[in-house]
Amino acid sequence: MDHDKQGRDSFEFPKWANAIRLPVALMAAGAPVYILGMLYLLFDPGTTSVGYQPEQPVSYSHRLHAGELGIDCRYCHTGVEKGAAATLPPTQTCMNCHATIKTESDRLTLVRESYQTGLPIEWVRIHDLPDFVYFNHSAHVTRGIGCESCHGRIDQMEVVSQAEGLNMGWCLGCHRDPEAHLRPVDEATTMGWTPGLDQRELGAQLREARNINPPTDCSTCHR
Amino acid sequence: MPKPFTSIVLVLTLLMMIPLALLAKQRVIKGRSPRASLVWDMDNQDKVKTQKANAMFADGRGMRLPPEGTVARDDVVGNPGLTEGMVDGVWVEAFPVPVDEALLTRGRERFEIYCAVCHGYSGEGDGMINKRANSLMEGTWVPPTNLVSDAVVARPVGHLYNTIRRGIRNMPPYAAQIPVDDRWAIVSYVRALQLSRGAATVSDLSAEDRVALGAAAE
Ligand code: HEC
Ligand code: HEC
Ligand code: HEC
Ligand code: HEC
Ligand code: HEC
Ligand code: HEC
Repeated sequence: MDHDKQGRDSFEFPKWANAIRLPVALMAAGAPVYILGMLYLLFDPGTTSVGYQPEQPVSYSHRLHAGELGIDCRYCHTGVEKGAAATLPPTQTCMNCHATIKTESDRLTLVRESYQTGLPIEWVRIHDLPDFVYFNHSAHVTRGIGCESCHGRIDQMEVVSQAEGLNMGWCLGCHRDPEAHLRPVDEATTMGWTPGLDQRELGAQLREARNINPPTDCSTCHR
Repeated sequence: MPKPFTSIVLVLTLLMMIPLALLAKQRVIKGRSPRASLVWDMDNQDKVKTQKANAMFADGRGMRLPPEGTVARDDVVGNPGLTEGMVDGVWVEAFPVPVDEALLTRGRERFEIYCAVCHGYSGEGDGMINKRANSLMEGTWVPPTNLVSDAVVARPVGHLYNTIRRGIRNMPPYAAQIPVDDRWAIVSYVRALQLSRGAATVSDLSAEDRVALGAAAE
């Protein structure tokens, strides 16, 4: 302790404190920015949701079937143009081919078992909106939004993982500006489709022609 | 300045990098664990949704199969020509639905989804699956029939319809994937493929089209 002029006890910063004024000020100002930034990143759907890739019971590959072999998405996901759910294929669909292809493969043991017992293969769900949200595939696919816009390049995925955050901001982002994603309806399942001309120009044309106005009222998705 | 000060600042700065690195890693790698949440609200409700499992039933299926003998609301009954392609044990020869451009366009789209993988886009039996299966050389594969061959041209439309509905020999049935209307649309497109591959002659064309063809050939 030092003494001031009147002789009372007082605290005085040591001389060297002058040298650390700047770093300490920087740290004090930086800490809230750092903490808020970290929290933002922690709760960002890019951290919490994107890239979710659970282990599936059968090592089924979209890269092989949808990519190399070029099987259309709708061959298996038959509900996608008709209803809310895209639906996963029943085992019978796999057996269409696997009754005569790779009949002995170990990787297909579970598929053959399921076919014999009639019990479904228990695929692990990847994309899963909260149950208080209403989503409908046919409303999107039949209006010219491709699978790729929401699921990414499925034809390049050995194992499917989630490509988009599926949060409310993401849904609304497109509902407010669908032009960036609209494509001809018969290209909905095409992967790696490119618009011949500028996407915005084409999007505007398609929107005009088909009178597309995605609703943003709460009751569209929360019903 | 006390000695440790610089080291403390250095260590703190390095420590600050750890959460950043963890978050960056989490954003880049593929995670095995589902979305986390502090408050689950009503995210997961006990209602049965499409294809959801339900422990209440012995087979675990939330969606129940219709009881034996029941008829769904949109099932067609009492029109075997349409639903079975056969009337009194005879294959129908004429389409039970009007054949127009819309049906053919629909048929083409559906053919390219469900049939082209094996039978090829032109119906000649050279689809991707056939090519891959041949190169695997497993011996269990039966090549898909050439749909524009005389044998298939000679089949009544009811027989083609039935092939889609019930399958034939080594070809699996497609009734579960393709509804009745689309089956007829596909049959109409198969007929169109056959006509385009020589089953049609110039005399099948209208007078106008014959003139147009002659004009185009010159
Ligand atoms: C041969 C059948 C088949 C074809 C063709 C196919 N899929 Fe799949 N798909 C499956 C199966 C089986 C699963 C479940 C296992 C898995 O997730 O890998 C699945 C899962 C998915 C999922 C994840 C579902 C979830 O749980 O969230 C998406 C998204 C998907 N498919 C999109 C596509 C798209 C887009 C195409 C077309 C490019 C396509 N699929 C083609 C069979 C198929
Ligand atoms: C239209 C035909 C077709 C359908 C439908 C199909 N597959 Fe395949 N699948 C193939 C072919 C062809 C191969 C072999 C490719 C190769 O190895 O070159 C294959 C290979 C596989 C393999 C790898 C087998 C091995 O030992 O290498 C697995 C696993 C598989 N399929 C799972 C499935 C599942 C699950 C389904 C149903 C959702 C399914 N397949 C539906 C055609 C099909
Ligand atoms: C507008 C965005 C969007 C488009 C376009 C889209 N999906 Fe989805 N898909 C989703 C969302 C969101 C979910 C999760 C739904 C839920 O949890 O209820 C989902 C779930 C799925 C699932 C698993 C669950 C189910 O519904 O059966 C499959 C399979 C699937 N999509 C396939 C496809 C295919 C194939 C296409 C293209 C023909 C497609 N999706 C186009 C957003 C989209
Ligand atoms: C890539 C663009 C895109 C994304 C992402 C998207 N939507 Fe849409 N949505 C559309 C378009 C386009 C329509 C059709 C609007 C029309 O028919 O005029 C639509 C229509 C709908 C409809 C039907 C509205 C009606 O009553 O006709 C619902 C429900 C819906 N979207 C929910 C969602 C939800 C929930 C999400 C997020 C999980 C989502 N959408 C993400 C583009 C998108
Ligand atoms: C295009 C579809 C769409 C529209 C329109 C929409 N929402 Fe949402 N909302 C969602 C989705 C998807 C989620 C789930 C987000 C998630 O899981 O991160 C959500 C989540 C929420 C939640 C968070 C619930 C919770 O406890 O986590 C609230 C609150 C909400 N919405 C309110 C609204 C209100 C108010 C409106 C109208 C101004 C609205 N929403 C319009 C799609 C939509
Ligand atoms: C998984 C591959 C596969 C797919 C997909 C497939 N077929 Fe076939 N198809 C076959 C095979 C294999 C045969 C030959 C069966 C035999 O001779 O044992 C065949 C035979 C046929 C025949 C000849 C039957 C006869 O009269 O002798 C017709 C017609 C036919 N298919 C139509 C179709 C149509 C229409 C579709 C689409 C809905 C289709 N096929 C999809 C594999 C397939």
